[in-house]
Amino acid sequence: MALLKVNNVAKSFDGSPVLNGVSLSVEQGDVIAIIGPSGGGKTTFLRCLNFLETADQGTMKFDGKSYDMAHMSSKEINEVRRHTGFVFQNYNLFRNKTALQNVTEGLIVARKMNKEQAEEIGMRMLEKVGMADRANHYPSQMSGGQQQRTAIARALAQSPKIIYFDEPTSALDPELIGEVLSVMRDLANEGMTMIVVTHELEFAKQVSSKTIFLEGGVIVEEGPSKEFFAHPERPRTREFLRLEETRF
Amino acid sequence: MSQNILQLLLDSFWKILLPGITVTIPLTVISFSLAMVIAIITAMIQYAKIPVLRQLARFYIWVIRGTPLLVQLYVVFFGLPSIGIRVAAFPSAVTVFAINEGAYCAETMRAAIESVPAGQMEAGYCVGMNYLQIMRRIVLPQAFRTAFPPLFNSLIGMVKDTSLAANITVAEMFFATQRIAGRTYQFMALYLELALIYLIFSTVLTRLQALGEKRLNSYGGNKN
Repeated sequence: MALLKVNNVAKSFDGSPVLNGVSLSVEQGDVIAIIGPSGGGKTTFLRCLNFLETADQGTMKFDGKSYDMAHMSSKEINEVRRHTGFVFQNYNLFRNKTALQNVTEGLIVARKMNKEQAEEIGMRMLEKVGMADRANHYPSQMSGGQQQRTAIARALAQSPKIIYFDEPTSALDPELIGEVLSVMRDLANEGMTMIVVTHELEFAKQVSSKTIFLEGGVIVEEGPSKEFFAHPERPRTREFLRLEETRF
Repeated sequence: MSQNILQLLLDSFWKILLPGITVTIPLTVISFSLAMVIAIITAMIQYAKIPVLRQLARFYIWVIRGTPLLVQLYVVFFGLPSIGIRVAAFPSAVTVFAINEGAYCAETMRAAIESVPAGQMEAGYCVGMNYLQIMRRIVLPQAFRTAFPPLFNSLIGMVKDTSLAANITVAEMFFATQRIAGRTYQFMALYLELALIYLIFSTVLTRLQALGEKRLNSYGGNKN
């Protein structure tokens, strides 16, 4: 049974449609890459999955429960968020908290975990992303790559069943992208279920199990990543991939 | 003659400073604390766009900012008794200063809260926190950092504004000076002395502001 199944998600902003019926099925352990041009609806789709945006229509089945995405109670939203992690393009670390506090904040405040236990988990997660030696640094004292790795540790601490990544490397200097991608690759290898909105086609090709090309609010093409990149079927997909590869 | 003035200044110094310590400072501290409570609540109501309450908040700010502080003092102290509400001078002053300053600080707080990126709120939601938890632990501390200098501005302004309370018989520093001046006719010397004491108060506060900002900068300000 699929871990996450969404059907026919639609969303418009001020009357202009951004998503026109997007459906997706995710199995445990899947790494799904969503690619496509800017403004195509990738980020909006991901944000709808975690209810940072409210979809106009769509149904969701997550972890065995069914939801109407357009009419979610705050209890239902919490239920879903409790088992998901979200990593933002611009990290969104709490600026008034250290790396460790960023990771433990949700555990202590939302899950009422005691401080010792939360900090033990926090340090373990920071170690996992190679940030243990920066535990007491504030976001303003970290590089972009360090901030994003901390943000990943924060997501991991929620012991999520799935993590959503919204263009996790797009705000990073080129030399910092690798350290974040390598953390994500490790997670994928450990079997973490992930949906990654990305412009890193090489990452999509190598790490993801399935790639989706989203444009104009619809899925233009999708398939197992190996086939997707080796033999894209749609002319538009081929054009996009060619443009991305030759953009330098 | 100048000998006499010097003696007068020395004698009056404590007579002016004492009500400063026993009236001006408590009046400021109590009023400003209440003003902060009003400001935070008013700012949050507007930020959260709570219907009806939000309009009430805007109305409150509109009325209070649009009318003179001195008139507000007169309305409460001299006006209310005519409709049967009699409030003593000091509590009247506290009420008016708190409500008045609350309106200005509400705008400062609102601007500061709005300056915290929406992503901070979203990140809080994504780790399972609710609105009030995120407000209290993430957004307000950052907003307070931004609001600190302008709020301190308001506080320094308020110390001096408390002199208006003399008009409603609160025996603070200005009131005390007026009485001494009325007896001795040394207006220039005494009011300059009073001005100097206010300047000392403000200078101490300015130092406190610098120390406070240093502490609040411990996390590198609000840089990303």
